[in-house]
Amino acid sequence: MISDLLKILGPKHAGDLRRYLLWLGAYGVLQGVATAFLVPVLAAMIHGDGQRAAYGLLALALTVLLVAVAHYRQAMKGFSLALVVLTTLHDRLGAKLVSLPLGWFSSERVGRLSRSATGGTMMVTNVFAHLLTPVVTGVLTPATTALTLLFFDWRLGLTVLLAAPFIYVLHHWSASWIARTEQRVDAAGVEASNRVVEFARLQPVLRAFGRTREGYPPLDQAIDAQQRAGGDRLSATFPRLLMAGLSVHLAFAALLVVGVMLALAHAIDTVELVALLALSARLAGPLAEAAARSGQLRMAANDLRRLADIFDQPPLPEPARSLPISDPGTVCLSNVVFGYRPEQPIIDGVSLRVPAGSMTAIIGPSGSGKTTLTWLIMRFHDVDSGAVQVGGADVRGLTSADLMAQIAPVMQDVYLFDDTLEANIRIGAPGASDQDVHEAARLAGVDEIVKRLPQGWRSPVGEGGGALSGGERQRISLARALLKKAPIVILDEATAALDAENERHVQNALRTLRARSTLIVVAHQLSTIRSADQIVMLEHGAVVATGTHPQLSTNEPRYAEFWRERQRARGWRLTDVETSA
Amino acid sequence: MSRKTNEPLYQLRYPVAGLIRLGVLLGGVGALTSLLPFVAIVELGRVLLSPGPLDIERVAITALVIALALVLGWLCTGLALWATHVADHRMQAALRRDLVRVLGRVPLGWYSDKTSGAIRKAVQNDLEDLHHLVAHHDVERIAALVLPASGLLYLCWLDWRLMVLAVVTFPVYAVAYVWMMRGFGDKMVQLDASFSRVSAAIVEFVHGITVVKAFGQTGRAYQGYREAVHDFSERYAGWVRPLLRLEALSSLALSAPVILLATLAGGAWFLSRGWVGPLDVMAAALVGMALPQTLLTFNQGMVAQRNAQAAAKRIASLLSTELLPESRHPRQPAGSAVEFEQVSFRYGDGHEVLSDISLHCRPGTVTALVGRSGAGKSTLATLVPRFHDVGAGTVRIGGVDVREIAPEVLYRKVGFVLQNAQLVRGTVRDNLCLGRPDAEDSAIIEAARAARIHDRIVALPRGYDSVIGEDAVFSGGETQRLSIARMLLADTPILILDEATAHADPESEARIQDALSVLAKGRTVLVIAHRLASVMTADHIAVLDGGRITELGGHEALLRRDGLYAHLWRLQTGPAEEASEWEREARA
Repeated sequence: MISDLLKILGPKHAGDLRRYLLWLGAYGVLQGVATAFLVPVLAAMIHGDGQRAAYGLLALALTVLLVAVAHYRQAMKGFSLALVVLTTLHDRLGAKLVSLPLGWFSSERVGRLSRSATGGTMMVTNVFAHLLTPVVTGVLTPATTALTLLFFDWRLGLTVLLAAPFIYVLHHWSASWIARTEQRVDAAGVEASNRVVEFARLQPVLRAFGRTREGYPPLDQAIDAQQRAGGDRLSATFPRLLMAGLSVHLAFAALLVVGVMLALAHAIDTVELVALLALSARLAGPLAEAAARSGQLRMAANDLRRLADIFDQPPLPEPARSLPISDPGTVCLSNVVFGYRPEQPIIDGVSLRVPAGSMTAIIGPSGSGKTTLTWLIMRFHDVDSGAVQVGGADVRGLTSADLMAQIAPVMQDVYLFDDTLEANIRIGAPGASDQDVHEAARLAGVDEIVKRLPQGWRSPVGEGGGALSGGERQRISLARALLKKAPIVILDEATAALDAENERHVQNALRTLRARSTLIVVAHQLSTIRSADQIVMLEHGAVVATGTHPQLSTNEPRYAEFWRERQRARGWRLTDVETSA
Repeated sequence: MSRKTNEPLYQLRYPVAGLIRLGVLLGGVGALTSLLPFVAIVELGRVLLSPGPLDIERVAITALVIALALVLGWLCTGLALWATHVADHRMQAALRRDLVRVLGRVPLGWYSDKTSGAIRKAVQNDLEDLHHLVAHHDVERIAALVLPASGLLYLCWLDWRLMVLAVVTFPVYAVAYVWMMRGFGDKMVQLDASFSRVSAAIVEFVHGITVVKAFGQTGRAYQGYREAVHDFSERYAGWVRPLLRLEALSSLALSAPVILLATLAGGAWFLSRGWVGPLDVMAAALVGMALPQTLLTFNQGMVAQRNAQAAAKRIASLLSTELLPESRHPRQPAGSAVEFEQVSFRYGDGHEVLSDISLHCRPGTVTALVGRSGAGKSTLATLVPRFHDVGAGTVRIGGVDVREIAPEVLYRKVGFVLQNAQLVRGTVRDNLCLGRPDAEDSAIIEAARAARIHDRIVALPRGYDSVIGEDAVFSGGETQRLSIARMLLADTPILILDEATAHADPESEARIQDALSVLAKGRTVLVIAHRLASVMTADHIAVLDGGRITELGGHEALLRRDGLYAHLWRLQTGPAEEASEWEREARA
């Protein structure tokens, strides 16, 4: 946990964290020492020895002064660390995220990431401000008090020492049980929530089939399983927690018995015994508090782990200075192999040369690696072997800013920022003149969206572009690429947003882009494919054919078959097909 | 906190109120009992220190009382928390079931503006947030009341001055606390607002990172994120920084060593004045040191309590979502004709989507809905399976208002294949048999064949018993064909179809199209059309513009009218020509 905290705070604050922990430890120990002064002062009072009581009080007062200093130091250091986290964690996290390869951001990761980044800061702040202090002092203070018992009376001290391992073992035992059940409860909880979300997502289907009336068995089972897991956990952990807590109280009872026996045997001064029993009564309180907070601390530790994991991710290595772009507009892949798992290559030995100013269409069945190939050109991932060159330079030899200056992407899932229409286009080139922005927008057909929306250019697009349709988002993405005027444009033709108007705009924009850039298109439209200078047919991550449309149509039966199927799809009528199954 | 703002909590907790009361009772007894050892130690001291021979019996009894009180106090507190944890556990399970029941009965349109993230938040995070409220809050509150009150009463009974002594340091903290908490509510509202901006900025930054990096705009998007974060941390730090020193110093007033010093020093003075005995001082010290604990625990639960209240409010509002009204006297539709009669519909925001639509779809005919995006095509089609209910007019199936048809009957009549086909996490067979759990293998295979997906299924390692997401991963187009096979098995006489389904996967477009054509045969079909060519042979084409039907008829007739349909048709058949023009340009 401490090492996770270090990662989150950053190396600059390692010393601060150490000093904080030292003061915290000192605070815990000093509290125990201060409490021990209860014995001499009380004994002196019972004996009626005012002078000794006064000396004891003076010593206590001095110790309390030290306690106060330690308390103040640890509190302020804790607060300042909390403020460090509050003011720097997001910056550090942002800087870290920007350095990671884009391929790292899978949709699942992105979801988890936003959750831990949002709740994470508050939680880390809380660790310093509220959680660590009671847990640490809750253990150290009674431990110190117990040691002072040894100093006052070795027999009582020995009793506590003998009890300590039992207390430790029992607490450890119950904590490990909680950890053990935690996994099952978590898994059952995740499963149940997933099933509920599935149930919600599938409502149209489930209702269409009358399944919401009779109940939906997988969901019912998941909720039952969760309830069982939770119930089992309660009945497994509570008796153990009770016993662990009880051990502390039984230790005190043992002290009491030993003390009383000693008193009955006249083997101890009764005055001292009374004072020592009073001190012993202070053992249980802080421990119980520590135990109560340790659950929260454990949960916080899990969150810390997740945050620290992000800082552990290896960044995408970047050179300090880029290699020269010797051959602008060209893309060259030589023998590229890439896969998320080495035994399952997604791109398996692809070589490809895209001359400047040409248009290449990549085709192939879904899952053949088309999109991944474009990702490798943009260096979302690094290749496992082989090389990707953009503008004549290996992409690993370019800074990401220089690489991205060469490429304008039009991606399938377009993300728009919660800003105005115009601002979202301007991302393509922030310094562009209004005229350029409007020209790019017109070419991509965004001006029609502008006309439709009441606030025109200044219309907000909603979170993630939610106020626009898929086709409209794609047009904005096109406008961005047009505005950027990069030597290379990589375009993933959307498969969903296929309404006629949109198609027309895409074709228009393509024509403009083609006149001034190298085009690499993951193509679905027949017209796009046919007009390409080079068609690359992918299957299972490998190139099975390359050539122009006329070449492939005559020489490549697989391409000819593909073309026939697509032609047939194009002429489809819902109602006049031969319905032989 | 007024009763009114707590209302949702009371409602949600109602079914487990008994267990919570038991927890509170045990917690109270536990707090009281945990004070007893201190009292008994003082008494033991009196016995041990009393002059003369030791009263062994009294020593033993007092020691026994201490031991019993320790065990009993701990057990009561532990059992109290156990009871409330059980209550929490039961309530969560019950609420989860209630939420599921609501989810299964809200109008389908309700889902259109809900993300799965929002639903997950409700069924997972919000329910978890209730934990503190049910499992801890009441027990901690009763302990925070009973222990200090009884401790002070005990000291007062010994001597009122001792009571004062035990709490003499408290005002220091109390004054500081009030000072620190001034404007707390407003501050929290501001901070919450600022924090939700941070959350949004983080989400945007993380989701948009591909875009910002691709356009070399890391600085820019980063800036929005940074601004939100800095605004929050500056606000928060600006608020707490001046308070930290005060907090660090004033919280000392409640620390055990300081209370010990205060009670012992004050006790020495009382002793010298002869007001109290040394053991009374001991009592004051012990009780005084034990007092702050329960108060601090309770206070630290305040944030969790606030979150729980907010969560309870959200859950309560979700539970009170208006359900799809069901007729008390459902009627049986006769046949499968679909009629819209003067139908109007507007969304909750008052924006009118459909106005005065009348349309008749005879059994076995195909009616295509065309128009620009936003014209109301999907809304109109999904009124039939009651995604929403009409604002005015009537939608009838077989002559009966859809609102008068029992939901299970309605859904047996109307099936739909929309763009976002979804598979259930289960076997392929489970997925196909959703509508007919008792379907025979031969029927299943026949449907899969007709939907052009059978070959793909038998190629899987476990064939029809392969599990989605485990050994069966389907592409978009394959998912669509599975959902079409599912509809074929369900065999509803009326079908709502989104034509874009056909283009879910360009690589298998032709096969999806074949499957759709098989499915459409012999049913009353209402198709939301995007590519006009694919529906040019439909029996009727209804052109929607601005929520009204502006043109209605067959393809040829509509072309002759030279209205919106003819315009759209030219637009759509245009690109191919333009593309070929472009090709010519390129070649030249």
